[in-house]
Amino acid sequence: MQKKDPYDQIEFYKADAKSVIADMGQDLALSMLDEMLLIRHFETRGEQSYQQGKVWGFYHSYIGQEAVQTGITNALGKKKNLYAATYRCHALALLLGMSPESGMAELFGKETGNAGGRGGSMHMYSDNMFGGSGIVGGQWPLGAGLAFSLKYRDIKDEVAVVFGGDGSIPQGTFHESMNLAKLWKLPLIVVIENNRISMGTQLERTLANFPIAENMSKAYDITAYTVDGMCITDVYDLFKKVKAEVLETSEPVMIEVMCDRFKGHSISDAATYRTKEDIENIKKKDPIVSYTNALKEFCGFTDEELEKRSAAQKQIVVNAVKMADEASYPSVDSLEEGVIVE
Amino acid sequence: MREITIRDAIREAIDEEMTRDDKVFLLGEEVAQYNGAYKISKGLLDKYGDKRIIDTPIVEGGFSGLATGAALTGLRPIVEFMSFNFSFVAFDQIVNNAMKIHYMSGGRFTVPIVFRGPNGAAARVSCQHSHNVEPLYAHLPGCIIVAPSTAYDSKGLLKAAIRNNNPVFFLENEMLYNNKGEVPDHDYTVEIGKAKVLNEGKHITLISYSRMIYYCDEVVQEYKKRGIEIELIDLRTIKPLDVGTIVASAKKTGRVVVVEEGHKYAGICAEVISVLQEFCLDYLDAPIKRVCQMETPLPYSPPLEAETIPNTKRIKNAIDEILVGVK
Repeated sequence: MQKKDPYDQIEFYKADAKSVIADMGQDLALSMLDEMLLIRHFETRGEQSYQQGKVWGFYHSYIGQEAVQTGITNALGKKKNLYAATYRCHALALLLGMSPESGMAELFGKETGNAGGRGGSMHMYSDNMFGGSGIVGGQWPLGAGLAFSLKYRDIKDEVAVVFGGDGSIPQGTFHESMNLAKLWKLPLIVVIENNRISMGTQLERTLANFPIAENMSKAYDITAYTVDGMCITDVYDLFKKVKAEVLETSEPVMIEVMCDRFKGHSISDAATYRTKEDIENIKKKDPIVSYTNALKEFCGFTDEELEKRSAAQKQIVVNAVKMADEASYPSVDSLEEGVIVE
Repeated sequence: MREITIRDAIREAIDEEMTRDDKVFLLGEEVAQYNGAYKISKGLLDKYGDKRIIDTPIVEGGFSGLATGAALTGLRPIVEFMSFNFSFVAFDQIVNNAMKIHYMSGGRFTVPIVFRGPNGAAARVSCQHSHNVEPLYAHLPGCIIVAPSTAYDSKGLLKAAIRNNNPVFFLENEMLYNNKGEVPDHDYTVEIGKAKVLNEGKHITLISYSRMIYYCDEVVQEYKKRGIEIELIDLRTIKPLDVGTIVASAKKTGRVVVVEEGHKYAGICAEVISVLQEFCLDYLDAPIKRVCQMETPLPYSPPLEAETIPNTKRIKNAIDEILVGVK
């Protein structure tokens, strides 16, 4: 007999899409769609450039998870708040101020890149986005440190946000950081993006106890929520509420966001651990499609308008690729610059 | 001039820098209510409160990473390791986050952080509590390493380290905490990256740092009585190395012995010797010798411990081997 999925036994945070979209207002609702489309096109063209031999190393695509960070950053605010993320960081950097041109140039290893060609795919930044951490679980303590800094500096209208995947939950850094965040009452939002596969190993084979937030939060006496990361209105609404909660209590909150990556762990992962049928089923949950449907239902949005908006974002990315392609590589004379602050 | 212990010199440096800059704070195990495992932070909790003198759980990876995150936002943490041996638990946070983010972010962020605490062997604390960590960190780009031997340098270099915008390892030595030395009342710093000639000499150059300086000095005084003038150099900063000072001395004496408390293989001596052969091979009258810890984990039993750590006998043997023909 097949074991019941523990995720069927817990309550997901749900919001009424119509009222959430009404609350956003049409401008924000549509700009969030644009951002999801930008991420989709950016990752598509980035991977294409990889296949053409113009981008190298590890490439972790965010395709399929666009609703998560788009919903979160718009709910919390992009100019303020401090963010830290994993190596799957293109989307968050784009959302928080990295231009598509400098992001693509970074993938191409060019001097005009976001990190001057020093970081590459896994290390992208903006003024309030502190990477892009390449070691699984390495970002958890950094996130706690960002929250510590807000508290130390007595900044009361911002939160720190740290993202990590289900694969980083067994790491000690996760538990160390949760303990410190609660112990020291840090204004930290902990986002666990759970796609149920750590690289190629299923959740059932990596974690002794899940759902993650539901269970792990109890160990540290932290408030927890679980939400469907494929539904941007649920994500947006939850994080609005959570921000208010964290600002009021100055205590961490743990949120497990269920999501699906459409691609392999990285570009070099053929993802043979999933069947073609699995992938087709996942793609049926496309967050851009479901959000578009909601916009059609509640805002009179049309397919033509989607086409138009998608084409506009695609054009931005195509230009970014062209500029990245044409840009210069960093001068080798600059190789040793920036190791130490002089 | 007043004389104070190295322990007090370190505390004064932290105290003065915390008064000067409210972004500076101290965190680590037992630093606050316990007043520090080695009493470095004695009295600081009372003076600055628990917002800035922070007791942590025993979680080196967690608090080193947290401090790094705080440093990214412009705060200036001083992380105390009760012993630098425990920094291994935080190795990934130190190496992959603290030491890399400045370069990796294309210079967007800096990490002004000091990691400090006792380094090296103490007294019979056995295999896991006696590491000299400096070659491990020195191997990797993105950090500064200082290891003073006197009260004056301890205070001045720690103040400079706290004001520096890079990750700085400030290596103390438990056996030296009670050593006294002259320290002025006024505010001063010691420049990072500068070695110091402690004794001028013409026959042979002896290069070392931290606790080993005291063993070397004993040898210097003994040989002085025999008419052999040893030039003793305290590196003080291990990374970046003061190439100018050591090269000038090696050219002058033509004979060099380097002494390091830690292991021989791929250690700091190896780096110093490599630099010297590169810049002054033609000036050397003898092979450069090194005196280091033997290639074993540091054993507990007193005679074994005494044998593996460099001592005056081994330093003298090394000198004698290359002094042939002098005088």
